[in-house]
Amino acid sequence: MSAKTISNTRLDHPAAGAYVLEVQSLVRRFGDLTAVDDVSFRIAAGETYGLLGPNGAGKTTTISMVAGLISPDAGSVVVAGQTMDPKKVEVKGNIGLVPQDLAIYPDLTARENLRYFGRLQRIGRDALDRRIDEVLDLIGLSDRAGDLTKEYSGGMKRRLNIGIGLLHQPSLLILDEPTVGVDPQSRNAILESVEALSVEGMAVLYTTHYMEEAERLCDRIGIIDEGRIQAEGSRDHLVRLTGGVDHIRLSGSGDIEAAAQALRALPEIEQVDADRRMLMLTVHDAPTAVARVVTTATEAGVSLSDVEITRPDLESVFLHLTGKALRD
Amino acid sequence: MRQLWTIVGFDLRQRLRDKSILIFGIAVPLALMGVLNLLLGGFDESPELEPVTVAASVPADDPLAPTIVDVLTGLDVMDVTVKDMPADEVDDYVADGDAAVGITVDDGFAQTVSTGRQARVEIIEGDSSGLEADVVISVVQGTVDQLTAGVVATVAGSAEGLSPDELATVGRTAATPSDHIALIEGQASNEQLSTKGTLVAGQTGLFLLFTVGFGVLALLAEREQGTMARLQSMPMRRSTVVLAKSLTGFLLGVFATSFLLTVGSLLFGVDFGDVLAVAVLIVTAVAAATSLTFIVARVARTAEQANVMQSIVAVVLGMAGGAFFPIPATGLAATIIDVNPIAAFIRGLGITSGGGDLADLGTPLSIMVGFAVVCLLVSRVIPDRAATT
Repeated sequence: MSAKTISNTRLDHPAAGAYVLEVQSLVRRFGDLTAVDDVSFRIAAGETYGLLGPNGAGKTTTISMVAGLISPDAGSVVVAGQTMDPKKVEVKGNIGLVPQDLAIYPDLTARENLRYFGRLQRIGRDALDRRIDEVLDLIGLSDRAGDLTKEYSGGMKRRLNIGIGLLHQPSLLILDEPTVGVDPQSRNAILESVEALSVEGMAVLYTTHYMEEAERLCDRIGIIDEGRIQAEGSRDHLVRLTGGVDHIRLSGSGDIEAAAQALRALPEIEQVDADRRMLMLTVHDAPTAVARVVTTATEAGVSLSDVEITRPDLESVFLHLTGKALRD
Repeated sequence: MRQLWTIVGFDLRQRLRDKSILIFGIAVPLALMGVLNLLLGGFDESPELEPVTVAASVPADDPLAPTIVDVLTGLDVMDVTVKDMPADEVDDYVADGDAAVGITVDDGFAQTVSTGRQARVEIIEGDSSGLEADVVISVVQGTVDQLTAGVVATVAGSAEGLSPDELATVGRTAATPSDHIALIEGQASNEQLSTKGTLVAGQTGLFLLFTVGFGVLALLAEREQGTMARLQSMPMRRSTVVLAKSLTGFLLGVFATSFLLTVGSLLFGVDFGDVLAVAVLIVTAVAAATSLTFIVARVARTAEQANVMQSIVAVVLGMAGGAFFPIPATGLAATIIDVNPIAAFIRGLGITSGGGDLADLGTPLSIMVGFAVVCLLVSRVIPDRAATT
C-alpha cells in the first residue's frame, strides 16, 4: 500500500489538562495481527472527535480499549484524569458506550431498558425516573416509551441504543458506527442528537466509515487504516495536509487563450490549463475566488456556458493517504 | 453487590416472563414422572403373590418327607395347592403347565438323612413359572435343611448316650428355627429408594441440570444480542455479570428441585425423610450442577451450542446416575458412576428416605462438593471460546 503517515497535528488545541480523553500509544494484537498500532489522540470537553476508516481499520478495537472492554498490549487510556483499566470500576462511570450492535433487550419496553441500565449505572431511583424522561424526550421516544422495543423500527432502536449511553450523563460518549443500517430520516435524527451533545459540553468519540457524517459532526477527525492513525485534524486541515486544492472549470467560447493569460495574473490562481473550449483552474479556495475568476474571464472575451467547482473531500484525502477508497 | 442483585432480579423476571422455568423446570419433569410412573407401575416394591399349584410325589409312610409339602400348604404369604401323584407323572404335569413346581422325594428319605448321607429331593420348575415358584423352591430348600439338621443332631446325641427325652429335645431344637434372633421390621439408612422414590429423585436430578443451564444460556444470549459489551462497560466488576448469571441458575435450580421433590413426594407417596438433610442435599446438588455450567460457558461459543452440550451432559449424567433406572456396575465403572453428582444426590435421598439424617450424608455430600470444586478448577484453566469469537 502507498500510505504515508502524517504526524498528529491538531488545530485549536484545548488547554493542557482540559482533555476528557487522552489515548497514548495504544497497541493491541490478536495473534499475529496487530489490530491497533501506536494510536494516540485526545478529546476535549465539548469536542466531537471522529475516527474515520473502513471496516477492519481498528476503530472498534480502539474504542473497546477506551471503554475498558479489553486491555491494551501497550499504551494507556486516561478518562477524566483516571487511567482506564478493565478491572477498575469507578473510571467506567465516566463513559457512555453505544456499541455498534444494538445493545437493548427486545422483550422490554424502552423505559424498562433505560431503568435496568440506569440501575446498573447506580443512579438513584428518583433521579433515574427524571433522567429517563429527559432521555426519552431527547431521543424522541417519549410517546413510544411503553412499547416493547422489538416492535420498534431500526431507527428507533438505534436512538434508544444511544439514549442508554447518555442516561448517566457521562463525560465521554463513545458512539461506534451508530447509523449503520438506519434509514435516512432516522439517521438525520441521530446526527442532530449527537450535534446537541457537544453543545452540552460532552466529549464525543464517534467512529464511522461514512465521510459525510465525519465532515458534519466532527471538530477533528483521525483517519485510521490498518490499525494506525494516518492523519488527524479538522476537515480543512486534513485537506491541506494532503496538498489538496480546489478546481474551477470554465466552459465557453471566445478568446480562451486571452482569458488564460488574464487569469494567470490573479494571485489566488495557482495554475491554468486551457484547451479550445475549456479552462481548468487550480485554486486554494474556490468559493472565494470564483466571482473574480468569472469576471476576469468574461472581460477577456469569453462567453461562459458553464462554471463548475470541485473541492477535495475526506474520500479523496483517504485515497491520497492510503492509496485506496474509503469503502474498500 | 447492588448491581449483582439487579441483574439477578432482572434475569429471574425474564425467566418467569418467558415461562421457560415453568415449562422446562417444572411442567416437563412432572409430566415425565407421571408417564414413567405409569410405565414402571408393574415394578411395585410390594407385589401380591398369586396362588400356585405344586405337583408332589412324597412317600406317605416316610416319617419326615410329608413335612416338606405340609410346610408349603401352611404358608401365609400365598396359597399353595399340592397335587399328590406318582413320581413318573410329576414331570408331565409340570411340563403341561398344570403346576408351577414339581417335587419328588425318594423313598427312604428319613433313613438316608439319619445315616448322614445325602437325601435326594428333585425339584422341577415350570417354564412359565414366576416369583411364586421361586418362593416354593426356597421354602422346600429351607425345610430340607432344617429336617437334616434336626435328624443329624438327634443321631449324634444317641451316639453320646443321651436319654430318649433328651434326644427329642435336641432334635426339636435343631429342627426349629432359632428364636434367639428376632426379625423386626423397621427403617434403616440403606441408601435404597423405592421405585417411585427413585423415579422422583432421578427426574428431579436430571432436570436440575437443565434448570441451572438457564444461567449460562442467559450469559451467552447477552453476548449474542450485543448487550454483553454494554454490561461490561458499566461501573462494576467484569465478574459481576458471570456471578449474577450463575446465581440466577443456582436460585432457579434450588426452587425447581425443592418444588419437584415436594410435589413428587405428595403425588407419588414418597417420603424423603429429614427436611434439613434433604435441604442440604438440594443446595449441594444444585451447586455441583451449577459448577458444571461454568465449563459449558467456557466451551460453547453460542447459546445454541450451550443448549446442546447442556442436554448431552444432562442425559448422560442423569442416566448414568440412575435417573430412569439403577445402573448395575462393578470396578472402575462403579467408581465413575459413584462420582456422578446425580447418583450421589439419589443416593443421599435414599439415605434420608431410609431414616438417615445429616450425619449420614458424608459420602454423597463429599462427592457433590468435590465435583463442584473440580468443575470450577477446570473452568478456570480452559480457554473461553465464546469470548474469542
